[in-house]
Formats: sequence, structure tokens, C-alpha cells
Amino acid sequence: MQRRQFIMLGLAAGATLATGVTLYPLAAADEAERRDAATLVLDAILPALLLGALPTEPQQQQTALLQTRNAALEFLPFLPKRSQAELSQLFLLLSQQLTRLALTGHLIAMGELSISQRLELLESWRTSYLTVLQQAFSGLRALLMGAYYGQPAQWPALNYQALEFRAYE
Amino acid sequence: MNDPIKQGLASGWQHLDASTFSTDQQFEADVVIIGTGAGGGMAAEILTQAGLSVLMLEHGALQSSSDFRQQERWAYPHLYQDGAARKTKDQAIAILQGRTVGGSTTVNWTTSIRTPQPTLDYWQSEFGLDFSPAAEPEHHLAPYFAKAAGRLHISEWQVPPNANNEALRRGCQALGWQYTVIERNVHGCANLGYCGMGCPLNAKQSMLVTTIPTALQGGARLISKVSARQLLWQGDQVTGLLAVPVDSAYQPDPRLQINIKAKHYIVAGGAINSPALLLRSEVPNPSGRLGKHTYLHPSVISGALFDEPIQGHMGAPQSIYSDQFVWPTSSEMGFKLEVPPIHPVLMASTLTGMAQFHAEMMRQFNQLQVMIALLRDGFDPQAQGGQVQLDSDGEAVLDYPLTDYLWRGVQKAYLAMAELQFAAGARAVMPVHQDAGLYNSWQQAKTAIADLPLARYRAALASAHVMGGCNMAATADKGVVDSFGRHHQLSNLSVFDGSVLPTSLGANPQLTLYGLIWRNSQALASRLVG
Repeated sequence: MQRRQFIMLGLAAGATLATGVTLYPLAAADEAERRDAATLVLDAILPALLLGALPTEPQQQQTALLQTRNAALEFLPFLPKRSQAELSQLFLLLSQQLTRLALTGHLIAMGELSISQRLELLESWRTSYLTVLQQAFSGLRALLMGAYYGQPAQWPALNYQALEFRAYE
Repeated sequence: MNDPIKQGLASGWQHLDASTFSTDQQFEADVVIIGTGAGGGMAAEILTQAGLSVLMLEHGALQSSSDFRQQERWAYPHLYQDGAARKTKDQAIAILQGRTVGGSTTVNWTTSIRTPQPTLDYWQSEFGLDFSPAAEPEHHLAPYFAKAAGRLHISEWQVPPNANNEALRRGCQALGWQYTVIERNVHGCANLGYCGMGCPLNAKQSMLVTTIPTALQGGARLISKVSARQLLWQGDQVTGLLAVPVDSAYQPDPRLQINIKAKHYIVAGGAINSPALLLRSEVPNPSGRLGKHTYLHPSVISGALFDEPIQGHMGAPQSIYSDQFVWPTSSEMGFKLEVPPIHPVLMASTLTGMAQFHAEMMRQFNQLQVMIALLRDGFDPQAQGGQVQLDSDGEAVLDYPLTDYLWRGVQKAYLAMAELQFAAGARAVMPVHQDAGLYNSWQQAKTAIADLPLARYRAALASAHVMGGCNMAATADKGVVDSFGRHHQLSNLSVFDGSVLPTSLGANPQLTLYGLIWRNSQALASRLVG
């Protein structure tokens, strides 16, 4: 994928989020559709965002990715309703936009991008001149980094061990 | 390990969890206190001891030492507002605020500092507030700081600082900068470092283990997991409070209604939620200041790598601060220098970058030293703070504009922190900013920091102190409440939390609130009991 296409995707996403005008009836999406969209987007972003941090052994890596995605999804209900709605809209837009463009042959789905292309996509949000994309990058990054490093399985790599006064789980 | 809360409940303390209600409820009391943090907790003890029937309401859950897990993934969703992901309206500033019985006192880092004299002087000149010994004896504040210090075991921390704080001290010593050993509200502290996740030893003298148990023992009642929605009022009187339970993710659940009647109403939900409740209730607001002038001590962050282990997760999180820059003689924005505890989620979500760069920084987790500079807002026309607004669900959202004046303070703070970290022996310093890298010398850092773009989302900004929005003032044209926290227009309404502060403090707020609210509660008790 070329940088120009990322920018176009950025513009579409930015315009949609900023104006509330959507190409798809996002508001009509039911809970299952929202969760599917969030899952799709998180599954696509996480291997890039966590590159260099993830375990190298394939099975451990898959487990870490799955646990991180689930931890992030389980955390979402604690956010204010308005933030949940904004994130939901972002996930739906990113999932649908990519799928639709993929059907026209212009773009492939997010999950089929190479890791370096996904990183380039994230980087394009980080440095975007569109406030809404910088916001999306900043929010998602904090949420997902927290979801990954909140798991005790990732602490040995940091040489961190939490106190335990009782057996949890 | 003893859990005094569980023991108290077993002995018959009156606690109800509103999320278990299956029908509408009604309650009556002499005084209802909305919020159980520094203000609400202090008021509950004093008013109960005065013989008044007290009903405490708390949005969060009743969690105590045997519930606390020393894991951020448990603590943040269960003990903090919005799962510790509360942010300003444009999401540029992250806000850490407690939401559990005991409020922020249950999760704070125990730093106890009296209101700085220059702050009191400013309040006197701008808002007509005289707390000095020259004022009427009942106005005098200092005796209440002493009382609070005694009640909450506040004293200078005698244990050597952890390496994170020691670096702050060493840097100050090398540069000849001012520093102070911090006073902490702890009793039997084992220097663990998990204050932010709830003290597992009940050593931190939060409201959860001090005043609230005394109030419950004295017959006060507590309802947790309840959200106060609206005060009803007529003329100069509040006539009732409407509340609803919250669900398992602490979201208000409007299917049931809880009606509360009291002789006196105390709002103590913190400086974002209290103004929001009053805005939802459309209370009289002739000064136009309700919800406005909300201050955050916006804080910037600087990371440094040391060769020796720092292990900033171990030991008292805060034991040294520096006021070298907090009261500048020029018109620049002052800032206080402190350090935060360093745990994985807090660090990973704060550090900038992603992929390899972020992973590499995290691998050096135990070599990482972190400084914060808390900018003192509210003392300059260009630092008039933010405004609490209501979103379409009626929930609070804080709009906090970032001014050029503040950005100049940010840049000065980055420079001061980097200079200090190199002076303390850092091998590399990295301002927590999207465009910053690791700098290997003070000279390199100095040049690079001067070029960092000063803009939201580029600089990581955070706050753990929310103040203002219902400011006190001697006269009704300049504030929402008077110097005793009494609402200027509604005679049976008081605001007893950080929202009454007319500016930020230039110091961590808990001791200011303990002293002020002790004084104000005593005055209220005299008035109500007669």
C-alpha cells in the first residue's frame, strides 16, 4: 500500500469522525457487530503496536495477543458512555471502510497488510494533521499498551514482580 | 491480615450496596454526604460525633484491604474514575481520580503538605478569604492542619527514599536546588510501593480506614454504588436528592430511583463530579462561576535511564519534592517537582512511541527514573483553568484549554527535569513527548527540548489533582460558596471537597482538604446542633 492511500484513508476516517457523517449506518450496528469490528481492528493493530515486545515463540505470541485483545475489550465498559460510542464508531469505520475498499480492489483488508504496513498506518495516524486521528492513535495506544503490560505473563521480561498477599484467580 | 472494614461490617455497621436494590428506595437523615473522599470522609466523622444522623453516598464500591489486589489491571477499573482513563474533553490530559469508598484518599500516594502561604495570600487578596491568625478565631486554618496531622498520623517520612526519589534529591543537591522530605499519612507503613492500588496493610491513613469507620461505628450509614443525579430545590432550600444505582461497570442505571431527604446536603464528589451535579440540578449561579475555573496542576513527565537499578515500583512512591521553581519571581508559570510510582501499566500507557522503541524502553523498566512537574494553574489571567460541562448523557466532561502561557511552562519544566536528571547521574533522558528521543547529555537535551513542538497529543500531560469549579469567596459575586463551604444561595447546601479551592494549590491537596473540611464541618455541626 502506498502512503497516498493511507492518507486518503486517514482523510475519510477523519472526516467521518469529525462530522459524524458516516458512509455506513454505524449507529444501527448491534452489539455483536460492534464487538466483531473491535475484534477485527484490535487483532490487526496489536501485532504491529507490540512488535519487539511480544514473545517470539509462536504459541506464546498468539496467547499474548488474544489475552491483550480480550483485556482491552473487557476494559471498554468502564469508560464513559460517550468514549465507548466514539471508540465503537472508530472500530466500525476502520473495519467497514477497509472491507469495502478491499472489495473494489483498491485496498486489502487491514488484517492482510504486512506488519510494516500496519505500522506505517499507525504512524500515519500519529503524525496526522487531523486532530481526530492523533486522538484515536493516542487513545488506542494507551489502552492497548495498558492491556498488554497489565498481564502478569509479560512481567518477567521487565523483571517486575507484583506483591501477592493472597492467591488471585 | 486484619481487615477492619470486614470486621466492622460483621459487627453490624450499616452499609447497603445500591446495585443490589430491586425496588425504588427512600432514605432520610439529618445530613446526607455525597462522596466519601477527603472532604466527605472528614465531614462524616465530625458530624456523626456531633450527634447528627449521617448518610454517606459513594459512586464507587466498598473495597477494603482484603479486596485490594496489587495488580493495576484490577485496581484501575475498580478504584478509579473511568477505570483510570478519565481525560479532558479533547483527551489531551489524563486524569487520575479515585472512585471507591475513601475516594482518592484510598489510592493516593500519601503526600501531605499544608496549603502554601503564597496561595493563602493570593486567596485573601483576590477572594477576600482570611484564614490567618489575624482573622476571627473560627476562621483560622492552621490549628486544623495540626488536628488533621494528629488524627491521620502525618509526619516526615523517616525511611530513606527509594531510588526514584533519591535521584530527585541527588539532582537537587548537585545543583543547589531546594528540596523537602515529604510528610506522609501512614501508620505502620512497610514501604511497599503499592499505595496507588489501595494499601494492603491498612497503613495508609485514608478516609477508608480512619474517619469512615468511626462514623459507621457511631451509627452513620453508607450506601455504595450509587450515583447522585439531581438536587431538588425551592427558594433557598434543597428539598431532596434523586439518585440511581450503578451497574457492574459503575455506569448509572436509571431503572430504579433512590429518593433521599435530609436537613442538610453536603456535596463532596470531587471537583469534576460535584460541579456536574450542581449543573444538572440547575442551582442558582449568579456569579456565573459554577463549573468554571477548574484546575488540574497539569503535569509533564520526563524519563531517564540510569546504570544502577531504580526499581521505581518499590518503596514509598513519593518522599522528596522540590519547590525550586514553584514560585518564580517572573510572570512564568511555576511548577513543583515530584516523582510518580513506576508500575507497568502506568508506565507503558504513559511512555510515548510504539513497537521496537517502546518495547526497548519497557525492557529497561527497572533502570527507568521518572520525574513529574506539576504546573501551578489559576494564578495568572492566562491560566484560568477549565470548565466542567455536561455531555448528552448528563455526565461530566472537563474542557481544559491549553494556553501559550501553559506551554511555555511545559518547556521550562522539561528543561528543569532533564537538567536535574543528568545532575543526578542519568546516562540518558527522554522527555515524554511524541517527538522526543533519548538524549545522552544535558547539552543535547537542552537544544532538542527547545525545538520540541508544544502542542496537545505531542506532549504527554497528566493530572492527579482536580480543584475548583465551586470556588469559595467571601462575597457571592466572586464565588459559589462562602469561606465555610456554604452555598451562597441555598442555605442547607454545602460543598466540602477540592472544588471549593479558588486556584490550584502549588502542593498536593489532601492535607489542605482535611484541615479546611474539618474546620468547615465543625462550624456546620455547631450550626445544626445549636
